[in-house]
Amino acid sequence: MGVVLQMPVVLAALLGGALLTLLLERTLLQRTQTEPGPAAAVDYRHAVDPPNADRWLYPAGPVLALLGVALATVVIPFGPNLIGEDLGIGVFYFIVVVDFVVLGIALGGWGANTPDAVEACYRIVAQLVAYVIPLGLALVGAIMMAESLSTVAIVEAQTGLWYIVLQPIGFVLYLITGLMQAYRAPFLEPFAASIQQGVLHTSGGWQAMAWRMALSGVLFVVAAMGAVLFLGGWQGPLLPGPVWMLLKTYGLMALMLWLGTRVRLRSTAQMLALSWKVLIPVGLVNVLIVGMLILLGVGTA
Amino acid sequence: MILGPVAQIVAFSLCALIAIAGALGMATTMSMFRSGIFLMASFIGVAGLFILLSADLLGLLQVMMYIGGMLVMILFMVLFSHDPGGAMMAGMQLPIIEKFFSLGLLPREQKQEEQSQHAGNGHQPMEQNGQDDHAGHADHGDQDAEQNGHDEHAGQNGHGGHEDHEDHEHHEHMDMSMTTPIKKPAAVLAVLVGVILVGLLLLRPAWPIVAATPNPNSAEMVGHLLMGKYMLAFEGAGLLILIGIFGAVFLARAGHFPDERGREARVAVDAQPTAPEAPALQPVADADPPDAAELVGVTEIQTRRNLEKDGRGEQ
Amino acid sequence: MIIPLTAYLIVGAVLFAIGIYAVLAQRSAVMILMGIEVLLNAIGLNLIAFWRFVRPDDYSAQIFTILIVTIGAVEMAVGLAIMLLLYRNRQTVQVDAYEELHG
Repeated sequence: MGVVLQMPVVLAALLGGALLTLLLERTLLQRTQTEPGPAAAVDYRHAVDPPNADRWLYPAGPVLALLGVALATVVIPFGPNLIGEDLGIGVFYFIVVVDFVVLGIALGGWGANTPDAVEACYRIVAQLVAYVIPLGLALVGAIMMAESLSTVAIVEAQTGLWYIVLQPIGFVLYLITGLMQAYRAPFLEPFAASIQQGVLHTSGGWQAMAWRMALSGVLFVVAAMGAVLFLGGWQGPLLPGPVWMLLKTYGLMALMLWLGTRVRLRSTAQMLALSWKVLIPVGLVNVLIVGMLILLGVGTA
Repeated sequence: MILGPVAQIVAFSLCALIAIAGALGMATTMSMFRSGIFLMASFIGVAGLFILLSADLLGLLQVMMYIGGMLVMILFMVLFSHDPGGAMMAGMQLPIIEKFFSLGLLPREQKQEEQSQHAGNGHQPMEQNGQDDHAGHADHGDQDAEQNGHDEHAGQNGHGGHEDHEDHEHHEHMDMSMTTPIKKPAAVLAVLVGVILVGLLLLRPAWPIVAATPNPNSAEMVGHLLMGKYMLAFEGAGLLILIGIFGAVFLARAGHFPDERGREARVAVDAQPTAPEAPALQPVADADPPDAAELVGVTEIQTRRNLEKDGRGEQ
Repeated sequence: MIIPLTAYLIVGAVLFAIGIYAVLAQRSAVMILMGIEVLLNAIGLNLIAFWRFVRPDDYSAQIFTILIVTIGAVEMAVGLAIMLLLYRNRQTVQVDAYEELHG
């Protein structure tokens, strides 16, 4: 597939995924009556023009965030051949490009130059520091067993048994860090109501649209990557591959969102403490256990 | 990824442009936040060049290291700086390169007034905000610094009279310039170095180039080398990072030099509206470093209050 | 490879020159640290360019560059910690405020 043909397809996949995510999230939020966070209502009709904005960085924020999510969608496989590009270092690439969303929120927050938005900028960077290492440790387990960084190879390595069975600790770790990475409750500090949803409050018009798509998209790609790493991706009986992939993605997403509403909201400092005191040691233990399983010959083909 | 010749040339020029323009912007812009972002852009451009050179693992590694690292560094910079947004400096007479990279930093005071005269519907929340903080980062940092300075006078007598005076002078006519007096010679030297290096490169074009293409699976190759031949270097780097973390924590630990009273005072003022509820949260506040905990406590109270309010409203 | 080796090396040289300017001309210690990062980056680019064109079979150059990136990160962390200490002490990180350091 040529790049010209690829791009619209990937964008369409992202758009569809993000819309479905938004629907699911809205329904869930109406049920549970929790703080909306990144799914809060935004004003699409009126462009907002903050008077003290840094007029280069402020519009760059949503563009970069959307770019990051779109680039991340490229490596998510919906079927054996339904993938934007099967990169040899797919999972690593995924971690890197999702960071662009954080960069975008930091730029948009600082660029808008209101106290709330700058606060959001600080919080998002602290959150990045909190989740990046445990997230990496959660992924390492799956990568070790599949002996590849390619997403397609990881799915194919789970033909017999999904990794959720072999690495339950890794899966739980991914659930928690995935919620952090997608800024959903209980980790929605950068979009908390106390700072008027941070960057969402200071953007309108096309920027609000881009934020909406990027923030729904990030949850979509995080859940899809979870389905690829731990739930066997497109594999399943009877139904065709893409349907299974979508079912697993949205099932995992609903599980994550529901679990998120069950616990109290966490502040950034609590997130950092949780990350360094609990998640990183647990991640290291997970890597050790997976290593032992591999030595015992479990899970490897 | 294999690209066609045209795509290669386009990709190379784009990445080289981003790398060089980013570095130039980093060195010349008036906004410190922006210079950090420009540096990040430069790194991403170089990472693109790495990927073009089929070192894709290294390119991605670079992007990951520097997005996280640079963002943290920028936030530190903002804490240390008097005018991190560059709104004050951008209004002055600047040479052309610095002018270009500082475009769009000036606040729009007149325009804002115009807006409030015939205000549209959509602008109401924004305007309120804009007037609230009017100054944004620029004044914020400045006031902070001033306050800190004064508090320092009041609180720490250990410095002695002479230094006290110096400190005062520093605040009286603060030199806002971001560059040292040797800026001009430095620029000349840098241009000279650049010209000499490029000249030498153009004069000696005969490198022993081989036509072989590297193994596309560079992650595997690098991994095997790191775990085999360069094991010692790898472990050494790990040890270095560990020592670096220890050193950084040791240097930056609280205690010997207490945090500025100015900051704590400000937080206390912020916390005033929620004072009656504060005692209930004291245990949480005590467990963490003082300034962070204060802020956390406040946000938590606010969040909780909002939640409660919402809950009651719905019921 | 359409792009010659010299093109990459020229980009590296220009980055190096800009890095020198930033290190010499900036007042704030953080900006100087950033200039050093640009210098390191220029070196990394040269290493990788030479690896690709001269010895594409030997991945040692990539290892070396990874080590450079690592050391850059550690340098940044320790540098920031030192700056934090300096700032607590004197409320500034502009290098010309620390005149007593030149003895």
